[in-house]
Amino acid sequence: MIHHYDWAGGREAMIRFGPATGPVVVLALPLFEEANRTRTFATGLLRQLADRGIGSVLPDLPGQNDSPVATEHAMLAGWRAAFAAAVAATGRPAHSVTIRGGSLVDHDAAVLGRWQLAPAKGEALVRELFRTAQAGGEPVEIDLNAWSDEGGPVAIAGNRVSRPLLRDMNAADCVRDGLVRMVRLETDPAVADRKVAGVPLWRQSEPGNDPALAALLADDIADWIDRCAS
Amino acid sequence: MTRPPVDATVRAVLKDVLSLSDQRVAAFDDDTPLFGALPELDSMAVAGVLTEIEDRLNILIEDDEVDGEMLETFGALRRFAERKVAG
Repeated sequence: MIHHYDWAGGREAMIRFGPATGPVVVLALPLFEEANRTRTFATGLLRQLADRGIGSVLPDLPGQNDSPVATEHAMLAGWRAAFAAAVAATGRPAHSVTIRGGSLVDHDAAVLGRWQLAPAKGEALVRELFRTAQAGGEPVEIDLNAWSDEGGPVAIAGNRVSRPLLRDMNAADCVRDGLVRMVRLETDPAVADRKVAGVPLWRQSEPGNDPALAALLADDIADWIDRCAS
Repeated sequence: MTRPPVDATVRAVLKDVLSLSDQRVAAFDDDTPLFGALPELDSMAVAGVLTEIEDRLNILIEDDEVDGEMLETFGALRRFAERKVAG
């Protein structure tokens, strides 16, 4: 069911799944094009959580998906404020579940625990965005260290992205303190609490799905929520 | 950190990112043409392939190292990755 939440910058849509009481998962999708490649998988994951009696919400971030905010006005601070507002709007004990660049936005949210799938450093995401722009014949010209560089938004694969967002993302990383559980694909050599078999759906040019992986991760998240409560 | 064999990693990345079948990827040899010959490998997919190779092999590919030649054949891409891993 589609609902809305209010944050300091306006109103955004959010989809609710599962029971309306008890602990709630608030999910942050990956950023930009990766969100489109993983939306089907992520909503499948939330439905699997609903089957396990856990409710969830999937909020739009300002400047992403169907947001009324133009993409070029998206800011990292705005994403964090909006995500925190979406968590607060649930009024329930909340857990964040974040995928890839979504792990850069739950810093200000009042959550009991954080569960991350293949969290990506902002630096790596920015580099991939630049590479995508270059492959499309539109190389990005920006000095990520020059805060005085106040040129307009840059075009990356059909999106207009603000320079401050790219600079903020470039310096950002996921939350590593507190109750954090990190899950990665077994093909990813980076450190994780658990490695699972699967393909990186966020990198596939054709959006795919992996219901078996979603089921396995739903079990992991349900178990994690239990452990956070004990 | 242990590194997986480069050949197998490059094959697995092409399979996973471009959604190719096991059989198709297993049949790749050094002369198998890639960019311009594989319809799945368009200019946008190149970014995903290279970044996934970087992540899995824990290497960093500079933009000025990316050219048509390294993507011309499977062998060229594998040799490029091997050189990067060797440092």
